[in-house]
Amino acid sequence: MRLGKHVAGKELRVRYIALGAFFVLGLLILSINLYRLMVVRHDEFLSLSQDNQWKDVRIRAPRGQIRDSRSQIVVEGRPSFNVYITPAFCLGCVRDVLPRLAEWLRWESEHFEKISTQIQQATGLLRYRAMMVAGDLARNELDVLNAHLHELPGLEIEVVPQRHYRAGALLAHITGFMNEVSREELEKRRQNLSEERPVYTLGDFIGRTGVERAFEEELRGVDGWKKVVVNARGEVMRDAQGNIIQRDEVAPVSGNTVVLSIDLRLQAAVEQAFERAVAGVAIVVDVKTGFLLALFSKPSFDPNLMMGRQSSRALGELFNNPMQPMLMRATQEHYHPGSIFKPISLLAALRTEVMNEHTLVNCLGGYRLGSRVWRCHRDSGHGWVNAKAAVQKSCDTYFYRAADLMGIDAIAEEAKLFGLGQPSNLGISSEAAGIMPDSAYHDRVTPGGYAKGMALNTSIGQGDVNVTPLQAVMMYAAIANKGTLFQPQLVRRLESLDGRLLKEFSPKVVHHIPMKEKEYRLLVDSLSAVVHEAGGTAFRHRLSHIRVAGKTGTAQVARLGKKRLKTEEVPFFQRDHAWFAAFAAAGEPEIAVVVLNEHGGHGSSDAAPIAMKIIEKYFEFKKLDETGIDSPAFPPQTDEVPPALPGRASQFAQNKFSEVNRAHESTH
Amino acid sequence: MKARIERRMFAHWPWSLIGSMVLIAVIGLWNMASASRAPQVPLAGSQAMFLVVGLMVAVVVALLDYRWIQRMVVPAYFLNLAALIALRFVGHKAKGATSWFLIGPWSVQPAEFMKLSLVLMMAKLFHEDFKPESPVYGFRRLLIPSLVALVPAALILAEPDLGTALMMVLTSMTIMVFAKLRWTIVLTLCLAGVVGVGVLWNDYVREQSEPRWTLVRWALKPHQDGRISGWLSPETDLRGVNYHQRQSRIAVGSGGLTGKGWQKGSQSGLRYLPEQHSDFIFSVWAEEQGFIACLGLIILYGVVFISMLLVAYGARERFGAFVAVGFSAMLFWQLFENIGMGTGLLPVTGITLPLFSYGGSSMVSTMIAMGILLNININRRAF
Repeated sequence: MRLGKHVAGKELRVRYIALGAFFVLGLLILSINLYRLMVVRHDEFLSLSQDNQWKDVRIRAPRGQIRDSRSQIVVEGRPSFNVYITPAFCLGCVRDVLPRLAEWLRWESEHFEKISTQIQQATGLLRYRAMMVAGDLARNELDVLNAHLHELPGLEIEVVPQRHYRAGALLAHITGFMNEVSREELEKRRQNLSEERPVYTLGDFIGRTGVERAFEEELRGVDGWKKVVVNARGEVMRDAQGNIIQRDEVAPVSGNTVVLSIDLRLQAAVEQAFERAVAGVAIVVDVKTGFLLALFSKPSFDPNLMMGRQSSRALGELFNNPMQPMLMRATQEHYHPGSIFKPISLLAALRTEVMNEHTLVNCLGGYRLGSRVWRCHRDSGHGWVNAKAAVQKSCDTYFYRAADLMGIDAIAEEAKLFGLGQPSNLGISSEAAGIMPDSAYHDRVTPGGYAKGMALNTSIGQGDVNVTPLQAVMMYAAIANKGTLFQPQLVRRLESLDGRLLKEFSPKVVHHIPMKEKEYRLLVDSLSAVVHEAGGTAFRHRLSHIRVAGKTGTAQVARLGKKRLKTEEVPFFQRDHAWFAAFAAAGEPEIAVVVLNEHGGHGSSDAAPIAMKIIEKYFEFKKLDETGIDSPAFPPQTDEVPPALPGRASQFAQNKFSEVNRAHESTH
Repeated sequence: MKARIERRMFAHWPWSLIGSMVLIAVIGLWNMASASRAPQVPLAGSQAMFLVVGLMVAVVVALLDYRWIQRMVVPAYFLNLAALIALRFVGHKAKGATSWFLIGPWSVQPAEFMKLSLVLMMAKLFHEDFKPESPVYGFRRLLIPSLVALVPAALILAEPDLGTALMMVLTSMTIMVFAKLRWTIVLTLCLAGVVGVGVLWNDYVREQSEPRWTLVRWALKPHQDGRISGWLSPETDLRGVNYHQRQSRIAVGSGGLTGKGWQKGSQSGLRYLPEQHSDFIFSVWAEEQGFIACLGLIILYGVVFISMLLVAYGARERFGAFVAVGFSAMLFWQLFENIGMGTGLLPVTGITLPLFSYGGSSMVSTMIAMGILLNININRRAF
């Protein structure tokens, strides 16, 4: 079709102008939009681009140490080598890299599965975030990985500080341990606390039990922050000289040192004295202040293994162990006190004036109340006994008589003055309150309500009376210091990293128990007689050079049969608990000691010797300190980094512990 | 095929078109040197090579016999169609789309050449189907042009390359509207627009209880759905589908009036900008050079469009006029889509900015388009 010269152009003229106008309109729209973004909203986008590249980076504050009363390091930090994978740079991750890692690091198959899914599920920007896949490599594992690092794309090994418990199992229940903070906890913190910057992030460790938990805030310190330039991959950028580009640095504040009142030497001596016992607890407390000098709960565990290096199998064994190594027996469990309760009954009898120190009771091997006879532990009887002899020989009949006269409420009232039936508030872990029954309690709990027989059982520390070993030792400390009941404490002071004193903890008095000089004398006399006069239940184990005032106790666990059996003839978990509670020196008390040998047998043969060894050691160390001769540190203070142990970060431990903590919190 | 070179031809070369296009390409090289600076692979060198090759091709095309080009339109269209179909079997997949042939060290993108062929084909159809007594096009006469446009667009959409397909549909529609449509069709198009907006409103904007009752949305792939919802509510899901657009907007907005300076852009330097050498090349320019330079660039493109319309105005017959209109519309829609998506005006569809983005196929095809326009201009009087 021929349209002739320029015809097409002319004919379409209007449409050209319209199309041109349309183009101009389109360009105008673009320009106006650009003006809006680049001029009107420039400041907003400029700051967004700044936010993009300047990322906050946390500078971890070094965690404070825990030291003993003589400033020996108990817990400190040490370097740990962790493995991180950035999924975006990890080519053939699940197919090639992970199986090799699993082989070298001896992963369990569940752990392998978990990591594989985590890596496969990382999408978008998450692919550029390094995730920890293994923590605290052992030396040989580190060597293997370093040798093969170039064939493992996207894999990095980073050094992070790790907690090291020098005292290990010796102090495990006091120091406690740490492990990784869980996703749920972080979420909870985020919801409940309005922190400007989150204190914890995933991968952080947090104190779970003991001092680590109770003094978390003090130990943790305050993390510092700085801004660094990062690119879209999250890589930190450097300038031409290779220095990291940074600004706005806020230096971290180191955590504080927690100084315990525990003397590691004494603690070690306690452990040694406990060598032959299967389970139990011993506590030594300063009777003038209420500070604990030693506290050992057996069996124990190694807190170094609780930080995520234990395999779930090994942890399972730990948790399912029938001897319950994780249990802090001093506060988390309560026991019948048996005869170590008798000084309370005696005090109650004196207070209510149903008896005085000269009152005599004829023990014929039992006490008849109504149609039933309450047996004394000695079937042949003790004959005529007064207060002192009753305590010395632990005559049950005397206390049955006293209970018959005064009833249960007088005993309970006296016992509560000494802190029984309520938590001691040591404050580092959950505590059992124990049980101090009175008539109201029995009316509530016992079918048929309160009956006089219950007072009789209570008076000799059986029946429903339950005390924690810590309550027992605080009770004896209160007797020793003539009636001042202290709140037990474990931490003497807080120090800064450079040793400056930040806070000194002073003794906390719960209350003063009114105690007459006469009553005090009688108690000290009769408790001394237990140890130092022939016929006393602990006479065989007396020390030649230290006067000890103490009381044995044998707490029945299973109901007595017709025939008395030897300890060895009874199944372990039905054997009696052996107690010994004491203070020394008798004339001038410094320490109170309680030893509980769980299912150990008799107080006189199975608890008293242990307590005597501890008391002996205490005075030995005291003499050493006074003469200025420095005794060897325990454990040996070295700079050597202990070898890491095999085993892997385990979610199991973490879950288990949040469970345990929850359970404890709910019991409060 | 005969190329005739005569002295008088050069008098008719549209220097404003050549000048503005080459200027944009040269500025593009300078910008590419910044966008692909270390530690990224430098691309300015190979882009310069593409430009030189493209210019040579343009000169050759300009000197080809005008009639020969006209004769080649149909075979070229079907050849390109065959290439697009072959792509489905032997194509190379990259960035989620099968859009390339690997030929030796080069990768060729057939869609870039298809869009030229499509414009030529449309021009040929409207050239031949012209009746002075009834200059208005109705449904029946638009059937074949629509088919010619939709078949390659569908093939490209299936790669998937939504941006290029959309651009081809818009270009074809522009050509059709330019050819003068019956008012019922214009009405239909307007209606279609209204329906489209209505569907978007129903599927994305309207407050509705989940699960939403949707007209089209249920049939979309998640990434397509995400882009549309991201475009309609740009402040949500910043880490996901809106990440790229948001980073691009940050880059553009932080440029300000005068920009951060060549190679000084933080968004591009630290790789926050995705695809910064191709789809988001304009954001690099905006961040580093600022609003005034952006305005300058847009005006330069405006000069290109107007120059192309002038070539169209001067064309001696309908074919030439429609080719020039088609190419100008094609460049316009690419520009509009590209800058629109970089600034949040349009959803992210993935399209290059002609002469500015990195890519040999794109550069060469744009230069071929320029060559054809030169050819038309040279031949406006000569027979």
